[in-house]
Amino acid sequence: MIGPFKKRTPHPHPLPSSGEREFRAVLMALIGLTLMSCQPKSDVTEVTVQRIFGECRANVPQGQAPIKNPDGECEVVTHLLDEFQKANPDIKLKVNIAPWPGYDQLSAQFASGDPPDIATMHMSAMPDFASRGLIEPLDGGFKEVSLDVDNFTPAARNGVTIDGQVYGMPFDNWTQLWHVNMNLFAKAGLVRDGQPILPRNPDELLAQARQFKAKTGLPYLLQPTDNERAAFTRNLFTYLLDQKAVVFSDPKTIRLNTPEARRIVNLFKQIYAEGLMAPGQDYPAAMAAFLNGEGGICLVGTWMIGTFEAEANTAGRPLYQGYTVKPYPMLYGTEQAAFVDGHAWVMPKRDRTPAERAAVLKLMKFLQVHDYDWARTGHLPTQKDVAQSAQYLSLPHRNDIVALASTGKTLPAGVERQFAIQDIVGDEMASAIRGHKSVDAALSDAEHRVNDLLFHVLSRQDR
Amino acid sequence: MTASSLKSRGSWTNALFVAPYLFVYLCLLIYPLIAGMGLSLFKADLFGGGTFVGFENFARLFRDEVFLQSVANTFYFVALTVPPLTVLPLFLALLLNRTTRVAAFFRGVFFSSSVLSVTIVTLVWRMILMSEGGLASNITALFGAEAIAFLSDPKIVMISMAIITVWWCLGLPMMLYLSALQQVPKDIYEAAELDNASWWRTLWSITLPSVSRTIILVAIFECVLQFQLFGQPQLITQGGPNGASRPIVLFIFEIGFRRWDVGYAAAASQILFAIILIATLVQYFVTTRRSRSEALAQPKVRGNA
Repeated sequence: MIGPFKKRTPHPHPLPSSGEREFRAVLMALIGLTLMSCQPKSDVTEVTVQRIFGECRANVPQGQAPIKNPDGECEVVTHLLDEFQKANPDIKLKVNIAPWPGYDQLSAQFASGDPPDIATMHMSAMPDFASRGLIEPLDGGFKEVSLDVDNFTPAARNGVTIDGQVYGMPFDNWTQLWHVNMNLFAKAGLVRDGQPILPRNPDELLAQARQFKAKTGLPYLLQPTDNERAAFTRNLFTYLLDQKAVVFSDPKTIRLNTPEARRIVNLFKQIYAEGLMAPGQDYPAAMAAFLNGEGGICLVGTWMIGTFEAEANTAGRPLYQGYTVKPYPMLYGTEQAAFVDGHAWVMPKRDRTPAERAAVLKLMKFLQVHDYDWARTGHLPTQKDVAQSAQYLSLPHRNDIVALASTGKTLPAGVERQFAIQDIVGDEMASAIRGHKSVDAALSDAEHRVNDLLFHVLSRQDR
Repeated sequence: MTASSLKSRGSWTNALFVAPYLFVYLCLLIYPLIAGMGLSLFKADLFGGGTFVGFENFARLFRDEVFLQSVANTFYFVALTVPPLTVLPLFLALLLNRTTRVAAFFRGVFFSSSVLSVTIVTLVWRMILMSEGGLASNITALFGAEAIAFLSDPKIVMISMAIITVWWCLGLPMMLYLSALQQVPKDIYEAAELDNASWWRTLWSITLPSVSRTIILVAIFECVLQFQLFGQPQLITQGGPNGASRPIVLFIFEIGFRRWDVGYAAAASQILFAIILIATLVQYFVTTRRSRSEALAQPKVRGNA
């Protein structure tokens, strides 16, 4: 025993100890929460939006216009969704950002029965999901919100229409383009009347590329070569269209082991072997190289126009007042051709309340109305009124590329698994161009692998 | 109540203790395993539907050059990573098995890479190994040498994957070895010191035999783990160039989730399962037999201390 304890006189109204006080506080909070949960259900309808295009909240503070790169894809789509949220306080958008192209995540969500309410989808991927009944036809829904499908451009309408039904709200059409560093082109003596001198056949291409390298010491072409499959495939498809080659003799059979394909792959292989294309670059490295003035032409899609144009307007940057963009120059024919695809917004099939369905359709209508804002990124507009508007055509370079919305071609609509095909073809093209495999072997393997894939796609009646 | 009925009831109720674990194990491991085996006999779509094709998927796999290349890549990767991941952490553990602050600091340093996610690891190594603008290429440029194509040369790419993986995975086996080393009784070392045993003799006759079970554990553990290589090539090379870094799991992922041909992917998974099982069993029997025969052949070090 330490010592005698003083006997305490009991307080007539004892004060609670700190432990008791905490207990009471927790109890009160629990009662409060319980009572709150008894209140009528919130009127806010929650909608899950799943999109690609990246994460850039740092450039678009909540409730504000973009403070950086205002015409970038990510910035525009983030701002558009914020604007919709602001205008519709009764709808809460829960935005998931999936890494490009988004189908690994979306496929897993479909397989587990928990897809989002609305998602971005490439037009080339839509037949796969539509034929399995995973996305909803939207003709009826669009009528409910007065979303006019007759205002879709032909390329856009074609891209979202499957077996006569509209399955998505077309957001854009896109294609790969030649983005040109005019400052370096001038240095290489490849500018005439303020326009870049572009090749008209394979020999001119090689000659101009060699001239460019000799005068600037830099590669003529910048294109992702590492960890990249899509870009090589798009080059091949565009130049096959240029030669009017039949790529698919029927939706289950691709033809790649052909003289037309060999011509294209041999040309790119020579460009690569002569060091006229920068080696060892993945997508971010190739984009950074172009922005830093380390190459003449960047082969990338419409989506980079906004970003490159912003650089062209920034004093001190290598692209300052020295950027233009052109469709792929035709090397074999005379008629402009381009392999195009597009992004659309689709409504995955799942249980949803009428309010959730109405909210999704309202968002689609909002995105249609704001087609011009999205077209600022460089993508081709999907609405006729926007494509013909002075506002759109006055944007930089749009006069040069707007025709692609009608001349551009997709793969035949009946071809399934187009993204998987793109992977296989790109894989083999990369092997051939970088010299890891002979051109004949690569084309033969690509043809075999794609036809094997299509042969083993489960028939519709077995699904 | 008789003693035997009490005993039988006791053994029955004991099973309840493991029931939750058994339930989860059966649902999450055994059922998917059997379902996967069944699925491998079907031509099936990721979103449902299928037709029975027997062993056609397996026959297809053995004709598929991409799959055969992925099997060869996987074995090559295991051969590149398992020996260093078994030996290097042991050396590190031997060096760091002391109570100084410096040792504690370096234990933390070597373990720190293990806590990173594969996304961070690949992002960091991409910046190091990129042949255009990567740290390694900048260093070689300082010496006027050409950049090494770590990620775009089919002969080098798997070695790059192995370097990344060894750097990433060193920490855990090192910790296992450290814990095993700390279990070795100190009196054996004191006895060896009294006998004037050299450092090498002590290592060879006391330390290594004492941690031999941990060495086997680490080797088997790493073997199972490295056969399942996926994240590094998926994020850095997508299996390229020319399929040189595509392992079996990436092949399965591409077939299942990109091509939606899940029956074919399930068949490839069964082959991977069989490979891992056989490799683990062979390794286990070889190492345990060898350590048993060595134990019988060598005289015991422990004296009469």
